Amino acid sequence: MAAGRIRKAAVTLALIVGVLVWFSVLMVFSPLAQDSDDFSRALPWILLVNLVGIALLLLLILISVLRLIRDYRRHVPGSRLKARMMIMLVVLAVSPLLIVYAFAVQFINRGIDSWFDVDVEQGLGSALELSQTALSLQTREHLGDVQSMALYLATSTRTDVVGELGELRRDSGAAELTIFTANDQILVTSSANPALTVPQPPTDEVILQLGQGDDYLSLEPQADGSFEVLAAVNLSPGTLGGEPRILQARFDVDQELGVLANVVGASYEQYAELSYLREALKTNFTVMLTIVLLITLLAAVYGAFFSARRLVVPIQQLMTGTRAVARGDFDTRLPIPAQDEIGFLINSFNDMTQRLARARKEARLSQQQVESERRKVEVILARLSTGVVSLETDLRIRTANRSAGAILGVDLDSHLGESLVTLSDTYPLLSQFLAVSRSHLDRGDYEWREQIVLRGEAGRRVLMCACTALSGEQEDPGGYIVVFDDITALLQAQRDAAWGEVARRLAHEIKNPLTPIQLSAERLRRRYLGGHYADSELLDRATHTIIQQVEAMKEMVNAFSDYARTPDMDLSRFDLNQLIAEVAELYRHPEQPRSLTLDLDSDLLNVEADEGRMRQVLHNLIRNALEAMEHQTAEEISISTRHFDDGGIELVEIKVTDNGPGFMDDIVDQAFDPYVTSKVKGTGLGLAIVKKLIEEHGGQIFARNSKRGGAEIVILLPVTREAGDAMLSATHRHDKRRERA
Amino acid sequence: MNLVGHNKMAASRWGFSARALETVAVAVLALGVQQSAQAQDDPGRFEIRSASVELRSGVYYLDAWVEYRLSTEARAALDAGVALTLDTEVEFLRSRRFWFDDEEANLRQGYELQYHALSERYLVLNLNSGEQSSFATLFSALNSLGRITELPLIDAALLDSDATYDIRIRALLSTEDIPGPLRLLAFWRRDWSLESEWYTWQLDE
Repeated sequence: MAAGRIRKAAVTLALIVGVLVWFSVLMVFSPLAQDSDDFSRALPWILLVNLVGIALLLLLILISVLRLIRDYRRHVPGSRLKARMMIMLVVLAVSPLLIVYAFAVQFINRGIDSWFDVDVEQGLGSALELSQTALSLQTREHLGDVQSMALYLATSTRTDVVGELGELRRDSGAAELTIFTANDQILVTSSANPALTVPQPPTDEVILQLGQGDDYLSLEPQADGSFEVLAAVNLSPGTLGGEPRILQARFDVDQELGVLANVVGASYEQYAELSYLREALKTNFTVMLTIVLLITLLAAVYGAFFSARRLVVPIQQLMTGTRAVARGDFDTRLPIPAQDEIGFLINSFNDMTQRLARARKEARLSQQQVESERRKVEVILARLSTGVVSLETDLRIRTANRSAGAILGVDLDSHLGESLVTLSDTYPLLSQFLAVSRSHLDRGDYEWREQIVLRGEAGRRVLMCACTALSGEQEDPGGYIVVFDDITALLQAQRDAAWGEVARRLAHEIKNPLTPIQLSAERLRRRYLGGHYADSELLDRATHTIIQQVEAMKEMVNAFSDYARTPDMDLSRFDLNQLIAEVAELYRHPEQPRSLTLDLDSDLLNVEADEGRMRQVLHNLIRNALEAMEHQTAEEISISTRHFDDGGIELVEIKVTDNGPGFMDDIVDQAFDPYVTSKVKGTGLGLAIVKKLIEEHGGQIFARNSKRGGAEIVILLPVTREAGDAMLSATHRHDKRRERA
Repeated sequence: MNLVGHNKMAASRWGFSARALETVAVAVLALGVQQSAQAQDDPGRFEIRSASVELRSGVYYLDAWVEYRLSTEARAALDAGVALTLDTEVEFLRSRRFWFDDEEANLRQGYELQYHALSERYLVLNLNSGEQSSFATLFSALNSLGRITELPLIDAALLDSDATYDIRIRALLSTEDIPGPLRLLAFWRRDWSLESEWYTWQLDE
């Protein structure tokens, strides 16, 4: 962030410095301020730098334009806006520049032209002419002097030519007077300042002109700014010997006149030069102006691109961000370009996406919570021994837990979505359940509670059933939830408890008075039976009856007390199969035609149980079966054992089957209740005690009629004590086993 | 007349760079400036007609004949009072095998040619000596400029007697000293770039 800011500042600084340097160079570049040699040398470089700048800008602009066109064709978001903004900015920047440029060019041309004035030109021309005339007068005068000197020399007869020439020079006021031979040899010379210079030989021009027979006269500007008049004439043939001679004279022009003439000449030249340079100057200004314009213009165009891009970039980002949000990506965060309105907009956008993201996260969280709650409820429902079924209003199954299926004898999980009505045809328990439910629902009674008794093959099943309506639209229910509990076992337990209590009371209340009654009867017999009383026979019979009945009552009470008694368990490991075989052997009599078949599982090893109790169980069961078949000719009893593993719990199944009349339908559920019996003989406590003993081992017992006719008692006994504990705790398995049974 | 050694090299390099850039300028800067020479205008021509070197008492002297013909544009500028600088460049090159020739010494003789309006004469100023002469016509002025006689070039002792030397000479109109406004034009106007080809010959021992 800080580095970016520093870079930005550096770029801005570099730009400002660059523009300043360029501007100052252009200032120096001004065509009027260029006299130094250094500048003249730098000029091409300055030009080159500017041209390079122009080329660079053109390249940048070209790249930008190409990119814009590409974006436009590809429909990149924001490209249209960028193009429009770009065109607008370019037009805004370029049009005033062009107008200023046109005016400036016009202004320069007119301005430069206005420097020059016809009157000034004429005046200077006239002044020059005047100076020339003034000088010309003097020069002609000097030529006249030289001509006279030539004539004089031609007629002179003096032999002292040097002296004569010196006199002539002094008289005429010449600075130098020399006579040359035809081949430029100095013949005689006289100079005002002889030590200073050697006389210059006549130039080609002089010789040429004199060769044509004319005199030579010229005004020669000197390097120091003064003027010199050079006049040369041919000396008459024969003068100073026979060869042709040249007389050349140099005169200094009057200094005052020379200076004045020089001033005029310089002014004229300056004006003439300036006038000549006018067009070049205009061109220069125009070129300069054009270069400055081009750079400025291109910079403005590029600037337009740049600012359009900078303006559009946040908008593009915003568009991209909006699309991302529309796609559901709330994690988009846009960089904030500046603290302006667009920055505010982007800030708001970021804020919005953040809130959306948070809201979605919260929604997801709560959804997860709901889901986990639902799962928990599901687990609870699954583990619940209570059956829970939710139904649509048309009695289709929406959900059902496992217990519901187990209680109703249907695998409801595989019938989800099906109507109870159609299922009830195949499942008798369900049809009874449905009948009760419908009787309420059809009446419009959605909230009800009732105890239902279902009758099936395995016996009676008592359900406590409650129904409630799910809230739906308006007053109609959105469905029903039916909750039911199999309270058969509960009722059974209650009954068992009640019987236990009865047995204890009987043992206590009845057994106590029986002993005194018996003792009293026996005393009566001892005292009065030996004598000879008239009623001794009666007494004998009566006391005998009393004693006998008391004995029977005692027996009965003992049986009851046995039932109620819960002596400590004496667990040991023994071979159950062997025990069964031993007990069964006791019931085999050669004179009695009965079949007693054993089908014992050889896999079964030792069982941990109370051997005495198990022996009693077997005795009771066999005796019960024999009693049931008392009037039959062919008695068949079969005992089988089977060893199996039910979900980690080792069990042994003992099945005792007979071919008697079986249980009557109405008592099949109460077969293990005391005094529930269909037999003539027996106390009615046999099966009740068996059940009690098995339950003490943690096992279970069921009674049913076998398919071949006859009764079938099934015992499920845990092989070890641990298995028994596990079996008691795993309540849900109870249902399963019962289902299987 | 004097002998100029390596110290003038920089200036000559600059002059050369300027001319090279001129081409670039012409190529890149297609500005709508008026086209210079019209068809009938004389483009001018500088040419070395002959040149020779003579060794006399240990010094090499140059004799050369240069033909100067100013372009119409340059003549117009001259007549308007613009002083023109005409340079004659002489270079001694040492031939080297497998490598570029080495520039041993160079000499630049500059003359300023100017029209003097008051006297209506053409002045020629020797920039090296400060000697000035005047001519009635441009022809005689240029003719005088073109006759180079006995220009002392270099002391023979300064040259390696074993090496082979090439001498080359050329004449050119210097655009470095013309007035500013013309300088810019001179970059892309043909009639301001007046220079002769190099005239090269081998120095005889």
